[in-house]
Amino acid sequence: MRLIRRSSAALAALALLAGCPEAPQGPRYVGAGASPRSGGVLNISHETDVDGLDPQVAYNELSTMVMRLMFDGLLDYDHNAELIPHLARALPVVSEDGKTFTFHLREGVYFHPMEGLPEGRELIAEDVRYTMLRLMSPELGSPGYGFYNTIVGAEAYHAGEADDVPGIRVTGPYSISFTLERRDQTFLNAMAMTFAYPVPRENVERWGPEVARHPVGTGPNVFERWERGVVIEMRRFDRHFEQRPRPDRVVFYENLPRGTAAMRFRNGGLDTIHRQSQQDYHFFKNAEAWQPYLDEHPKSNVWGVGMNTQVAPLDNVHLRRAIAFALDREGWDRARADRLSPTGQLVPRNVWGYAEGIEDEHTLNLERARQEMALAGYADGYPEPLSFIITEGDVGRIYGELVQADLARIGVEVRIRQVAFSTYLSETGTRGRAELFMVGWDMDFPDAANFFEPLFHSDAIADTGSQNRAFYSNPALDAILDQARGVVDRSERRDLYRQASRILIDDAPWGFVFSDTLLEVWQPYVRGYRPHPVWPQNYRDAWLDLPRRRAGAAR
Amino acid sequence: MDSRAFRRFRKNRGALIGLVLSGIVCALALFGPLAAPHPPDEQRREALLDERGIPAAIAAVDGHPLGGDTVGRDELSRLLHGGAISMAVALVATAIAVFLGLTIGVLSGYFGGLTDMASMRLVDLVLSVPFLLLAITVQRVFSSTDPDESLMVLFGLLGFLSWTTLARVVRAKALQVRRLEYVQAAIALGMGHGRVLLRHVLPNVIGPAIVIGTTLVAQMIIAESAMSYLGLGVQPPRASWGSMLREGQDMLTVAPRLVLLPAGLIVMAVFGFNLLGEGLRDAFDPKE
Repeated sequence: MRLIRRSSAALAALALLAGCPEAPQGPRYVGAGASPRSGGVLNISHETDVDGLDPQVAYNELSTMVMRLMFDGLLDYDHNAELIPHLARALPVVSEDGKTFTFHLREGVYFHPMEGLPEGRELIAEDVRYTMLRLMSPELGSPGYGFYNTIVGAEAYHAGEADDVPGIRVTGPYSISFTLERRDQTFLNAMAMTFAYPVPRENVERWGPEVARHPVGTGPNVFERWERGVVIEMRRFDRHFEQRPRPDRVVFYENLPRGTAAMRFRNGGLDTIHRQSQQDYHFFKNAEAWQPYLDEHPKSNVWGVGMNTQVAPLDNVHLRRAIAFALDREGWDRARADRLSPTGQLVPRNVWGYAEGIEDEHTLNLERARQEMALAGYADGYPEPLSFIITEGDVGRIYGELVQADLARIGVEVRIRQVAFSTYLSETGTRGRAELFMVGWDMDFPDAANFFEPLFHSDAIADTGSQNRAFYSNPALDAILDQARGVVDRSERRDLYRQASRILIDDAPWGFVFSDTLLEVWQPYVRGYRPHPVWPQNYRDAWLDLPRRRAGAAR
Repeated sequence: MDSRAFRRFRKNRGALIGLVLSGIVCALALFGPLAAPHPPDEQRREALLDERGIPAAIAAVDGHPLGGDTVGRDELSRLLHGGAISMAVALVATAIAVFLGLTIGVLSGYFGGLTDMASMRLVDLVLSVPFLLLAITVQRVFSSTDPDESLMVLFGLLGFLSWTTLARVVRAKALQVRRLEYVQAAIALGMGHGRVLLRHVLPNVIGPAIVIGTTLVAQMIIAESAMSYLGLGVQPPRASWGSMLREGQDMLTVAPRLVLLPAGLIVMAVFGFNLLGEGLRDAFDPKE
């Protein structure tokens, strides 16, 4: 008896593997065909968890995506990636010398209800000043500080040597001006980053270090509940200054694996998905019924194999170059279903500052790699294994195995360490800790400066939480970057970034490997959603065409 | 095995099938790596992946009878090497478990008293911890990026968590044996405990130990697959059938064989060892 039961269980398991219950081939639900209206619940997800929603601190794509549902900035971007006023009434007034920017805020912008202020309160210029000072304070240790260090007095304040930042002046209840030490072509971009999204002092003081879990902003949704690692819930903020149709609630699921998310999406339980497993990617690309509801576009990002330039043996530039020239970018693209766009330099093709046709970019060149190995003194390979840190999951494992196989060809043994994202951040951001690591950068604003400065400027090095994960420090590069930030002439500035690209290719703090593409899919009843050129998954303008009905069913 | 038991075993068709299946699996594990046509971690991305990243199908590329996997490695070679690792884990873990179970069970049953009390409470303790939970914790604590070390951790982990059933059965048998007259006589004649244990007790309990050990192999194959599937088992680029299952799942609808082949081998191995174990039990103990 026991035998039979066991074997039939095994057979049942096989049958299950062979023919899983089928989800529908096309969308299961379609919209009602109504005119734009508010209502319904927007269900969205991501495969990892959110580590914090404090706009002055959080600095990753996922937090940005969620924070933008609850916070607003003074400036924003339109769909052409051009700056537009948002909480500001108009783009700021710029002084003759190009160093003073005066913003006039909209009136009637309200913060969400919060403890002690059940009705919320109006946003005033003083809140903007408070937010900027908080961002630059030495205690907060914000990774965003460097974007604002050209403000007069910022450096002294950040060092704890001054109590105020004279470059920030409130000139009226709704007016605030910023004066810079020198011209800075990225200052307005910085003001559009989530770091500068205003927060109310009352809420920060109420929660202290816990404020990252109790977000209060002026944005289109009010934070309601956060079950850590599981779900974040928000409801519509009816006093938002931009009145437009929106869902009643937004529910964001954390830690939903790609496969599960795709299955749930196809069954109507999620309203959008933006990352798919290989098989789901193939499915959506080939399913005709889904074509009107998806968009595939290159992301403005860059990925590479990071190398800690401060630890032996990776402090040897020849070894780093050998690694950079041993990576088989085309092969990676195959292994990732043609979703990568191989590259050999820092700035992605679709971002201003890409060095078109620059010579001797990183590419697969085994002969060159072996020469560099010999110059490094390891003609017979490097004797010890090197560790390669990468995040958990199947994609991480695949990249790990690709690096392992590529570097084996030049005699470098790699051991893969798959860790949680937070561990990845702390391991690679701590001085002298990591060796090799997978590293990527998603654009904050459309300018080459946003790739060079946060990743390779010496100022981006910190003992812990370093954004410059390669711990790469080069005064020559710093000088070029500092100069480029102030240059007004576009072509002159572009030349400077080309020089900077040259330096990074030669010094190889990363082996630059690829930019990737993003396939976003949404339900037919999700309307008003359009992939944004700057913001990840910008669901702020989406509305739901409800009640949804079964596809194919008669009206 | 005495001759009557052997005859019973030979007449049991299920047992023979089990013997053949587990023999095949063991042969695969032993000779597979030698027979593998390619190194198991060599990636031939150009040859074995098309531009859309779909792995070469069965017999699509010369020299790769089972096609390629998701990063362009030879599927057949990976199955053969993976089998060796899966079986090595299962056999070594079983050996550890059998050794521990036999020793603790025999001592506990023979000496009784405090020894018995202590070891049986230890059994209760080990049994009371959920297997996967403990396995995951231990694996996290001792996790290593060195493929060899991680294999050692896996051996030990599975072995040290699986000896309990065996210890209980052996103890019960040892309790019985201890009261037999010839054992009592040997003790009375002044034979040392060591000799009594080796000459009289052990031969009497070895039968059930072999039976349980055989079924344990099957359980260990499953356990290794589960651990590797969860990413807690063998470290890349090493393959085991369990880790291949995991690697293939991302392509299940596109290239189902990447899941079905390792899954089929796991089923075959488990089925084989279970049948063999049941056959042995029937042979040793006709009453059941």
